[in-house]
Amino acid sequence: MAVVTSHTGRLYALALALVAFFLAWAVVAARPWATAAADPRLKVLAAREAQLRHEAHLVNDVVARRWAAYRVALQARRTQIAAAKQQAAQAAATSYAAASAASSSGVRVVMLPPLTITRTS
Amino acid sequence: MERRNFRAMGTDIELLVDANGAGGALDAAVSEFHRLEALLSRFRDDSELSQLNRERSIEAGPDMLRVIELALAARERTQGRFDPTVHDAVVAAGYDRTFDEVPADGPAVAAPAPAGGGVRVDGYSIELDDGVRIDLGGIAKGYAAERAAEVLAVAGPCLVNAGGDIATRGGSWPVGVETGSETLTLELTGTALATSGRDRRTWRRDGRMLHHLIDPRTGAPADSDVLRITVVAPDAVEAEVAATSLFLAGARGAAAEADAAQLPAVIVDAQGRTTLAGGLE
Repeated sequence: MAVVTSHTGRLYALALALVAFFLAWAVVAARPWATAAADPRLKVLAAREAQLRHEAHLVNDVVARRWAAYRVALQARRTQIAAAKQQAAQAAATSYAAASAASSSGVRVVMLPPLTITRTS
Repeated sequence: MERRNFRAMGTDIELLVDANGAGGALDAAVSEFHRLEALLSRFRDDSELSQLNRERSIEAGPDMLRVIELALAARERTQGRFDPTVHDAVVAAGYDRTFDEVPADGPAVAAPAPAGGGVRVDGYSIELDDGVRIDLGGIAKGYAAERAAEVLAVAGPCLVNAGGDIATRGGSWPVGVETGSETLTLELTGTALATSGRDRRTWRRDGRMLHHLIDPRTGAPADSDVLRITVVAPDAVEAEVAATSLFLAGARGAAAEADAAQLPAVIVDAQGRTTLAGGLE
């Protein structure tokens, strides 16, 4: 009959028993049979996220409305600017016509009734 | 044709514009006259000109600066016959308040004060020598007429008559000129016109008839045989300067100078004789 009498063998057996013990301890400490309880902070975070999504939706609506109003105002302003430019161009044309007239300027005695009279100032 | 009459710068102003619906431009031209009067009048204590005469040195605005530069250039060009430093001479002659307030008659006036003092322009700074004061009367009216015409021209061809100083923009304008016996009509096309004379703005001191056209060389009202002279020039400022300068030259001298410079002029002498000069026929 084989009897373990060797010291080396006993030491191996002891070490193996300790390893087995600690493994069993770790498994029991982990309590794999227990179900994870729901964290209340997660619920709060989820509610906050939903609220933010709702607010973002509202903000998007406001921005969309304002953007539409801005585009209408922009179009009106562009129309005004175009009209002003046209008016300025007409004024420039008038000035140019006046300048052209001045280049052929002169004076002559005529037999017309005067529109105004010059007197000593 | 739209017309607007009002008073500014101590004289009657008339605006004519050959356009309809020119009310806005007419209003703007009227405002321009009042704005320039507020800057350039020697009768307003708060004007820029009064400030210059009081403080001797100021940082001037663009209009004041421009008129002073034009006046100094005119003094140079006319060899002193036109001079903006006649202020004290005009005052000494009795024209020391707005003409409407000048008494028609009164005692002898102070001794004449010759003009010609130093005026320096450096950037926007204007500086007067001690004892020098500026009167921009005539040239300010010519300048205002030109500025107002510029404003009014936006509406259409126009004429601005500032008490005889006439500026035009566009079109042809028949303008009446009083001669010795009738009214002569000159048609202005792109030109300006001014009339100077001693038939108006006169007053009596110690039995002597005085007038507002000062000879800068003597400081006294000019002793000229010209009663009234009308000059046509490219702009109202130049016309005003030429009219004043030729008035001082006397009737014969004025005709000769107008012919030489080809400045169309109508000269009426003290006897009522009318001479057309400077190519005017």
